[in-house]
Amino acid sequence: MNIHEYQAKQILNRYGINILKGGIAYTPGEAKRVAQRVSPRGPWVLKAQIQSGARAEGHFVEKRAGKEGGIRFLTGRKDIFEEAQKMLGATLITKQTGAKGKLVSKIYIEEYFPAEKTFYASLVIDRMIPCVTLLITASTTNMIDLAVNNPEKILRINLGLNDKIRTEQLSQIMDFLKLEEKCRKGLKKFINGMHRAFMDLDAIMMEINPVGIDAKGELVALDAKISFDDNALFRHPDIVQLHDDYEDDDRVLKAAKYGFQYQDFDDGSVGCIVNGDGLALSIADMLHNKAEQMACFLNVKGGVDKDKISAGIKIIMTNPRVEGILIDILGGFLRCNLVADGIIAAASEVGLNVPLVVRFEGTNKDEAQEILNNSGLPVIMAETTEESVNKLLKAMEESD
Amino acid sequence: MSILVNKRTKVLVQGITGMQASFHVKRSMAVGTQIVAGVSPQRGGTKYGGVPVFNTVKEAVDATGASASVMFVPARFVKDAVKEAVEAELSVAVTIAYGVPIRDMLEIKAMLKGSKTILIGPNTPGIITPGEACLGIFPENIHRPGNIGVISRSSTLTYEAVLETDRAGCGQSTVIGLGDDIIVGTDFVELLKRFHQDEKTKAIVLLGKLGGTFEEAAAECYQRLPNKKPVISYVAGTAVPFDYKMGYAGDIITRGRITAEDKKQAMRRSGIIVVDSINEIHQRLQALNLNSQ
Repeated sequence: MNIHEYQAKQILNRYGINILKGGIAYTPGEAKRVAQRVSPRGPWVLKAQIQSGARAEGHFVEKRAGKEGGIRFLTGRKDIFEEAQKMLGATLITKQTGAKGKLVSKIYIEEYFPAEKTFYASLVIDRMIPCVTLLITASTTNMIDLAVNNPEKILRINLGLNDKIRTEQLSQIMDFLKLEEKCRKGLKKFINGMHRAFMDLDAIMMEINPVGIDAKGELVALDAKISFDDNALFRHPDIVQLHDDYEDDDRVLKAAKYGFQYQDFDDGSVGCIVNGDGLALSIADMLHNKAEQMACFLNVKGGVDKDKISAGIKIIMTNPRVEGILIDILGGFLRCNLVADGIIAAASEVGLNVPLVVRFEGTNKDEAQEILNNSGLPVIMAETTEESVNKLLKAMEESD
Repeated sequence: MSILVNKRTKVLVQGITGMQASFHVKRSMAVGTQIVAGVSPQRGGTKYGGVPVFNTVKEAVDATGASASVMFVPARFVKDAVKEAVEAELSVAVTIAYGVPIRDMLEIKAMLKGSKTILIGPNTPGIITPGEACLGIFPENIHRPGNIGVISRSSTLTYEAVLETDRAGCGQSTVIGLGDDIIVGTDFVELLKRFHQDEKTKAIVLLGKLGGTFEEAAAECYQRLPNKKPVISYVAGTAVPFDYKMGYAGDIITRGRITAEDKKQAMRRSGIIVVDSINEIHQRLQALNLNSQ
């Protein structure tokens, strides 16, 4: 689960990390009032609150929002209302949002910080070791380039689960970033605060890009992103409250309600229902080998409730981009007959207007096939994944 | 022969009194698995489906000599269950649950370091040595004894790989699902080595997928193995674009975005046979002519 910048900053502040004075606004009028409160004379920074990085370099879909990105520096008080009006309700596209972009429904207004120096700091799970790793670099843009071409410019320090940062590790960071001695105390507090928040709250990613340093050597989080482990949210009811439903696709939300995973892709016209994301990926690969693409998939995992499965199938059946449906179930925990019942229930509610190919294997396969064969639905049965892909593509071609 | 478990392995079941456990325990016993004990706190001294139940793993091991465990405990209790298994020095532990918090897995990995226990999972169908022992939730009637070792990072594709060996006219020595989670107990490397030490295993099917660099580690290990057995591999996710996500940290940690294609290339360079579709595996297995050797 992701949260917004302003929420992340409030959390970090509770762990002793300095943040700037700021406030959230949903309307231009509110923006003006918040700006007055955080800094009577400015300058100010207006920041679009969408859960994505690279907002400054992004662009808005709507012309009325202007050519600038999602982070705007303002010096005049009268500009605040106007710039807030341009951004609010507009759609921001960044390198991390995908082509559709994200709707800006609130902006964060902060006082301006005269940084003498900035750097990048993040904590992330390195799944290969596995451990929590601190990443530090002087650069604050083009991270992926840097990671591929100049990995030596990124300092990686593997941290223990509960220990504080050691003196020699702190010195290592100081040297790497060529920081002045006056920053040492603040740096220690900053890194320890990040680490403690990360462990306490079951975070899986925490990124502060950039960290700003002022003339006195104080460190401030100028941006903040935190992602939490969905599987650990049961330990953090207060974090669950921060979830912003508007950040998620409707179908993703609906699927999540039933305990399923829904994934949408930019191209393609085939909708899939599977039990396991590996299976979805393998079907996507097969479609790709045959010059077709997957539009979306629903992973019903180990679902054991017929009504939920039926509701899940409807999510795919009612997607207007889907021109053919492939259901591939390898029953283990999940029994195939439940899926067969779910297909019939869903089709009777929303209708079946596109070709549907079904392949069952494993637990209760024969019973499931019989249920579908007796249903009167125009279902095409297949024995292997490859056969189901071939049959679906053929049926889609014929129905054109 | 096989790896990890066989018909002589004495198995205990942690969380035996749960509903899912009793269904799968019955099935496992029906295929010959020696289930000698169950563990369920406060139910010690009772019997469940004919199996004696103990309060702790330690008591179960002392009384029955069990050396392996399959856990049907819910995700949030997995950490404590693994701790018990490690402290009782079991050689193999399988955890089926999905949804184990990542921080718990970090702590579990620290416990496993230097211990005598190999953990398979979480979020896995488990381990099966056909005709001998099943520690997990595999579907019925698709496995048969043979000489192909199967290791998969995707739970559902584990079954698909088994069906491919069947289409090639082969059976399986041992089948292992590593688990779908971000952090799992055991990766390809350890099992690849064990399959190479197992006389019965003549070839290995290895299924990878996007995420992490587990396939690269497997390729590096394979390259160094003396007397290589043929390995056939499929990596799921070539056609899928990366998830749009927040921040750069995830990309930096893998030193740039690692695609399924990168993984396939690393494996090809090490001598592994890589296929582009999972349904090509049986043809490549047939081409090895294992049954005529």
